Amino acid sequence: MIAFAPSDDHKLMMDAGQKLSKALAGRVRETEKGGGLPEDLASAARELGVGVVHLPEAVGGAGLGLVAGVLLEEEIAAGDPATAFALGGTGAYALAMSELASPELAQDAAATAGAVAFGEPRPHRDRPGLSTIATKKADAFVLHGEKAYVLGAGKAERFVVFAQVDESKGERGIGAFLVSRGDGVKATARVRTLGLDAASFSGLVLDGARGVLISDEPRAMVRFFAKHALLNAARCVGLARAAFDVTRAYVEQRRAFGKPVAHFQAVAFTVADRAMDVEASRALVWRAAWLWDAASDVEGENAALLASARAIAHAHETAMQTADDGVQLHGGAGFMRDYPVEKYMRDAKQLSLYGMPAACAEQLAAAIELGRAPDLALVLPFADSQSAFT
Amino acid sequence: MTIEFSLSARQKSLKDMVGGFGRSIIRPQSLQWDLEHAVPEAFLARFVEMAQSMGGASASWGVQGLGAAADAGDVESSKIGDAPSKKKSSAMVTSCIGAEELAWSDAALLLCLPGPGLGGPPVRGSATPEQKERFFGPFKDMSKGLKWAAYGLTEPNAGSDVAGIRTSCRKDGRDWILNGRKCFITNGARASWTVIFATIDPTLGRAGHRAFVVEKGTPGFSVGRIEDKMGLRASETAELVLEDCRVPEANLLGGEERYQSKEGFLTAMKTFDNTRPLVAAMAIGIGRAAYDYACDFVKENYALARHTARYTSIAEKLARIGRRLEAARLLTWRAAFLADEGQPNAKEASMSKASAGQAAIAACIEAIEICGAEGSIAKDHQLLEKWFRDIKVYDIFEGTGQIQRIVISKRLFPDLKAF
Repeated sequence: MIAFAPSDDHKLMMDAGQKLSKALAGRVRETEKGGGLPEDLASAARELGVGVVHLPEAVGGAGLGLVAGVLLEEEIAAGDPATAFALGGTGAYALAMSELASPELAQDAAATAGAVAFGEPRPHRDRPGLSTIATKKADAFVLHGEKAYVLGAGKAERFVVFAQVDESKGERGIGAFLVSRGDGVKATARVRTLGLDAASFSGLVLDGARGVLISDEPRAMVRFFAKHALLNAARCVGLARAAFDVTRAYVEQRRAFGKPVAHFQAVAFTVADRAMDVEASRALVWRAAWLWDAASDVEGENAALLASARAIAHAHETAMQTADDGVQLHGGAGFMRDYPVEKYMRDAKQLSLYGMPAACAEQLAAAIELGRAPDLALVLPFADSQSAFT
Repeated sequence: MTIEFSLSARQKSLKDMVGGFGRSIIRPQSLQWDLEHAVPEAFLARFVEMAQSMGGASASWGVQGLGAAADAGDVESSKIGDAPSKKKSSAMVTSCIGAEELAWSDAALLLCLPGPGLGGPPVRGSATPEQKERFFGPFKDMSKGLKWAAYGLTEPNAGSDVAGIRTSCRKDGRDWILNGRKCFITNGARASWTVIFATIDPTLGRAGHRAFVVEKGTPGFSVGRIEDKMGLRASETAELVLEDCRVPEANLLGGEERYQSKEGFLTAMKTFDNTRPLVAAMAIGIGRAAYDYACDFVKENYALARHTARYTSIAEKLARIGRRLEAARLLTWRAAFLADEGQPNAKEASMSKASAGQAAIAACIEAIEICGAEGSIAKDHQLLEKWFRDIKVYDIFEGTGQIQRIVISKRLFPDLKAF
């Protein structure tokens, strides 16, 4: 059937999420200034299973599926969109291990301080694919190169690193490697970002690092990147909802020309449009998550992938637009850090760069609709790789 | 409850059947009907027969079936959850699925289908049991002739501003005397009866409204001009004229006591909560037709292996149309789902209508853009230019996009009474 009503179990989880979300919202600036979650909030988030509820029990998750995952991500992000990021890269790491690695290797992924390194500072100048190279040496691979924007790299003990195995094969020559902190692995200094200030992003320099190949199967990598980006889209929905809520409340109490500014059509219609966008984005994210949970074959996965691409593009656009309009409708006050809405706007841009930007998601959706097999090039979050036509 | 997005077996078979019939039988005639400004009655009769032979599913053929669906208590068991025996209605969602599919084939046909049409919901919602029997009765058996009903609200000077209608009614003995003009009435000329909204006193605003069932042939009730439209040309849109039209008091919808307050106006408005998701579903059907066509066109005519900037931008256009239609479809299903659950859905219904209208218009515009001049030519199986003409009114009738935003705004800002 077609139904849009979270189950009783979902509701219990969302209620708990909402409680934490309120606490997060009250301390947004403290989190931001501190550059990370205060320990009490961080442990509350971990206890709730933020980032791991959807993962299979085999990797230490709660096994609740992606629908539960996106519901919780939205609740938490509505409190502070930076939360999932401030917890570090563990959620992404566990997701990568559960999708890519063998069960033995993935066993305790959710409990490991891990990070995923896929981005690079710039595209390779001469060929498609990654600049970080993995070379086979006897029993393992040796990695050389530089990764960028790695979430939680500073504290991670383990890394899933994407690197080029075969330079002649473009994106089809990419593999995923498990790398441990140690010789030949160095995290560079944390970078300052436009938004998501509570999150620690830094680079990773690999100089002869030992890596274990966990997957060179494009299909598995596509699954990982799509789910990873879908969870990020759920955060976009949470962010958009938060920006919408504070804006709706503000324009209702702010008066001009003798009445609340909400009582002018130019204001009310903008708010109404964003309400539609938020509702639509949420429904798109729910449906994509449901399709992943229901997928049992390639056809099912392609449907989930198409739905994910649409959800990701819509949610990113919605988050950015809702936050932008939010600042606008706050007037000058919106520009001040006294109100949270300027932070939502900065976070929205930062969020949409993480995972899969809207422009990439559009090419992925078009490729599937035009009958092209969804390959890794379309899902990798690098500006130079996406085109529905190649 | 649950979050779920799978069609039931019945919904799937309805979708397949309507889609298959649409592709092979309806589409090839679509342009001809448009040129002739009518769907032949013989075809409509055949269509009704076929729908009826599908048993209960006939309830789901879009707007015309809406009432039947609700009346039949179209239920199916919920397969999810810990109470499998619990019966859940999914009539509205099913109707939306059927309406989208039929509109994908030809939206004008859907509007032409015999049945109570938009006249159904107000009668269903407000009529006395005796009136329901009298007005719906003739529709039970159409083997001796097709029948329609209509909904007459809009006037030359009152469209979205429903409270501003000027068609008057005054009591005279056991009759009411109606005077005024109604315009843009779908199936207005062939309707056996039309729900006419009139006012006892324009200064009373909404409280003065009364709804009547005016039967064809009533003295003083006549058909004015038949409109010449941009699109949906196979659908009949008529002007109705009431000149000292004498309507028996038994035809006052719901009886006198129903109109103590704003009941008449609410009758008019309640109709929309039910029909807006269906109109949204139809818009999505047309938009999807254009989108599917553009996708096929690109697959067949563009060298996909060539990597050019223009192709990348075409891909982006397609993706944008596809996702906006999908977003609107989910908003529509959600509004329908709430209706099936018996929950208030005015805001959601307006959201579905507003987003679907715009998404589908964008789809039709972009599809022509993508196909180039070829896309603007009218010929067999090349219906882009027709869909472009058909779709525009979906952001206008049943409440313009602007009206939908007013409805949404009022629900977002409870203190907002009017702009």
